[in-house]
Amino acid sequence: MDTFQYLLLGLGNSLSGTNLLFAFAGCMLGTMIGLLPGLGPSAGTAILIPLTFSLDPTGAIIMLCAIYYGAMYGGTITSVLINVPGEAASVITCIDGYAMARQGRAGSALAIAAIGSFVGGTIATVALVVVALPLATLALKFGPAEFFGLMVAGLCLVIGLAGRNMMAALLMTVLGLLIAMIGLDPVRGAPRFTFGIPELYDGIGFIPVVMGLFGIGELLLAAERRQANMINADLKNWNPTKQEWVLSSKAIGRGTVVGFVLGLIPGVGAIVPTFMAYVIEKRLSKNPERFGNGAIEGVASAETANNAYANAAMVPLLALGIPSSPTVAVLMGAFIINGLTPGPFLFQEKPELVWTIIASFFVGNVILLILNLPLVGLWAKLLKIPFSYMCTGVLIFCIIGAYSLKQNMFDVWLMLGFGVLGYVLRKLEFPLAPAILALILGPMMERSLRTTLEISAGSFGIFLERPLALALLTIPVIVLGFMLIKPRAFARVRQTDAE
Amino acid sequence: MLKRRTLIAASGAAALAAPAISTSAWAQNFPRKAIQMIVSFPAGGSTDIGARIVAAAAEKEFGQPVVVVNKVGAGGQIGFTEAARARPDGYTLAFINLPAVNTIVLDPERKAIFGVDAFVPVINQVLDPGLVWVKADSPFKTFADLIDAAKKAPGKVSVCTTGILSDDHLAILMVQEAAKVEFRIVHFDGGTQQQTGVIGGHVDVAFDNVGGVFKRVQSGELRGLVVTDNERSKFLPNVPTTKELNYPTVISSSTRGIAVQKGTPADIIKTLETGLQKAMMSPDHVKKLEEAGLGLKPMVGAEYAKYYADTHAQAKKYTEWALKQR
Amino acid sequence: MPSGARQGWLIATGLMLALCLFFLWQSWLLPLTDKLGPGPGFFPFWLSLVGAIFSLLLLIGVLRRSMAEYEAADSQLPDGYGIRRIAAILASLAVATLLMDVLGFQLTMLGFNAILVVLLGERRWPVIAVFAVAGSFGVYYIFTRWLDVLLPPGVLDF
Repeated sequence: MDTFQYLLLGLGNSLSGTNLLFAFAGCMLGTMIGLLPGLGPSAGTAILIPLTFSLDPTGAIIMLCAIYYGAMYGGTITSVLINVPGEAASVITCIDGYAMARQGRAGSALAIAAIGSFVGGTIATVALVVVALPLATLALKFGPAEFFGLMVAGLCLVIGLAGRNMMAALLMTVLGLLIAMIGLDPVRGAPRFTFGIPELYDGIGFIPVVMGLFGIGELLLAAERRQANMINADLKNWNPTKQEWVLSSKAIGRGTVVGFVLGLIPGVGAIVPTFMAYVIEKRLSKNPERFGNGAIEGVASAETANNAYANAAMVPLLALGIPSSPTVAVLMGAFIINGLTPGPFLFQEKPELVWTIIASFFVGNVILLILNLPLVGLWAKLLKIPFSYMCTGVLIFCIIGAYSLKQNMFDVWLMLGFGVLGYVLRKLEFPLAPAILALILGPMMERSLRTTLEISAGSFGIFLERPLALALLTIPVIVLGFMLIKPRAFARVRQTDAE
Repeated sequence: MLKRRTLIAASGAAALAAPAISTSAWAQNFPRKAIQMIVSFPAGGSTDIGARIVAAAAEKEFGQPVVVVNKVGAGGQIGFTEAARARPDGYTLAFINLPAVNTIVLDPERKAIFGVDAFVPVINQVLDPGLVWVKADSPFKTFADLIDAAKKAPGKVSVCTTGILSDDHLAILMVQEAAKVEFRIVHFDGGTQQQTGVIGGHVDVAFDNVGGVFKRVQSGELRGLVVTDNERSKFLPNVPTTKELNYPTVISSSTRGIAVQKGTPADIIKTLETGLQKAMMSPDHVKKLEEAGLGLKPMVGAEYAKYYADTHAQAKKYTEWALKQR
Repeated sequence: MPSGARQGWLIATGLMLALCLFFLWQSWLLPLTDKLGPGPGFFPFWLSLVGAIFSLLLLIGVLRRSMAEYEAADSQLPDGYGIRRIAAILASLAVATLLMDVLGFQLTMLGFNAILVVLLGERRWPVIAVFAVAGSFGVYYIFTRWLDVLLPPGVLDF
């Protein structure tokens, strides 16, 4: 049987009664998990593993996969509505998604997110079918040196989120990197900047910081305005306008590519493709100043990349048995507990099983779209709740989210502190996004550099031997250098467009 | 009709008396609510899989939920620290990995806030022997090939571990000592990174454990060079042991078991011992562990405590040696 | 309040400079390199150095910027109304966080919900009551029973 025949067989299987039900249940649960605080995709998926003991393996795995990419969408909802990312990767969507909500266009934002996610996920799955094994093997060539290059490139791209004040953005990046270093050194285990406080051994958690900076900071800002509701504008129709469609479609295309390619590389994590897609979109835009103020392409690119990544991340798992991220590792655990070892041999031993699972990704993406699109109007209406209730509600949400990470009030205090900080920084117009991204990339950067040096026995010359790594390192740094020295050469002439 | 004051006084007295009767009364009702089991390694990894299998079996045995909670980071230190600081009431089990717990305690740079006696070992579950593996197309066909190459080019053959001062790292040190060779040691963070590193061709050899990769060695995708144990692994009967190859001192494995905090009442420990032992011997548990390639080796109570102490002594020797090289 | 904004910027960049210098000092105390490559202090040391330079540059920029630029800035300091509301939110949050481990999620949030909503202007008691209970006991039930998420039980530990 060749690939296509297997796919058809798998499609047939995945549309059968129970499997369809599992996919549906997974999508619903996933969206809820993404939506609710304290239940990131890995925690949510892990909780449900025991369920799989009593279910048939195929169905169980279909459901778990559906939960995984479903959760990506759930996280979007809170990002757009209340500026709190439901799970880490949705943080980029907050930037333009929430701005759109404040203009009354929450419906469009959510709709475009749903559609972009669908397109991204489906295309990624198609690509998975076609190129799974050869691409995955190629992706393994991406070693610690290349990884480090990618992280540096990512950080340099962060300047693309700078807005007006480049130096402030750079400083926030550095501060983000420094905060990321609090805790146990990732390689040696030596405590850094912990001052004997055991709660800091694990570092400053990303979720409390983001919930504080974005969520609580936003609440404080909104509190000082004299308005009855969270947002001041009228709710507009949730159908995106024609112009919005045009802008978004290109963003969706680019987002899919970025998300898919990065999904093939183990260890990248969902945030990197999301923000890279966003920044690329901003760089290519004719009106980059719209980004951050409700540019729909910003939402489209981020969300598409998000879902394309989630689906593509299954490639290393299925093709090579290597999980791309902690969440996918949980899925792998589910496979193993059910007696299946993902990898090339599973493809050979049990092709019907693997293809059924792959086919169910298609089905799952469709289900997600059908589930979420009609609800968009409903979600958007939530914003009409009076500010006092909304604010308190969001705070309950944030408290649960922060506490449940480690069952520790310390994280709640952290969130509170960063909330105040976020408010102050916003007032002073310091950009928050670079710090957040630095917080994520910092540890990965340090770890990959130190591993690279271990492999090369301390010699930095290893970068000269590996062209891809070298390219990833030098090109962005050169571009960044130019941007700092000759900003005028890179500024687009916007005045003429506006007039 | 009880007067309110009497009622309050009575409940006050009961509250004061509670600690006195707590040990035996609580133990008879133990467990009354959900038990948490802190696993210090990521979900989906081979430690976590074993933990979840025993948690499911223990749930059936105790009739209360046994919830696995992953607290990852710093080679297990995060999770072990948290488990050590939990209340010694038997409701927070520590899923401990040896020699990880030992090396963390022994490395002064780690500034571990728990000591070797912070945990009371209850029962061991898995003994996962060390395995040295390479890609199927690697030039090293046997362990002897590897040692030869290392002798010819000291410090050039790269080997990797799943973490600094992990059992893999100690195994490398043991080999270096016994065969008088020097490797270039690279430390990854966990089995996944290690696999990516070796299969991707960035590092030559992996020092790992049987459980994580045995299916892929069985299928021929990877080649196992040697198992660092006294007897052959039943999952990989074709791979020779270090004992057979004349390296009898190179014995290393990763064991995982369940412990409680120092100060947990003795009867609760006893209840846990009996219950967990029954859970581990249940056919479902045995079967699932086998499918996952994890060798079951239950050691209960005093036997486990002795193993803990022995492992600590062995770890001490090699940890100090590793630290000297820093 | 232009001078207020300028002061705000000065304080902020000054604090960031201080923070970078602090990190610089702390990382200097850690091993910077050893035989196995860069040590724990390596990255933070250079980073804090760069950070200190950036904050210094920013600080100088703030000092040199003209008053006119501050007046043109978008955001202003909050007025009395704003300050009261912000203080209400922060104070309620702080108190709730302090009490939660002791009193438990349900009781603390019951109080938190009711009080904050009133502080922010609500007066309709039936709605407040329903909201307060749903947002404390209701939420607790859902999260701990159905979703396996542990929340502080406090004195109501049963």
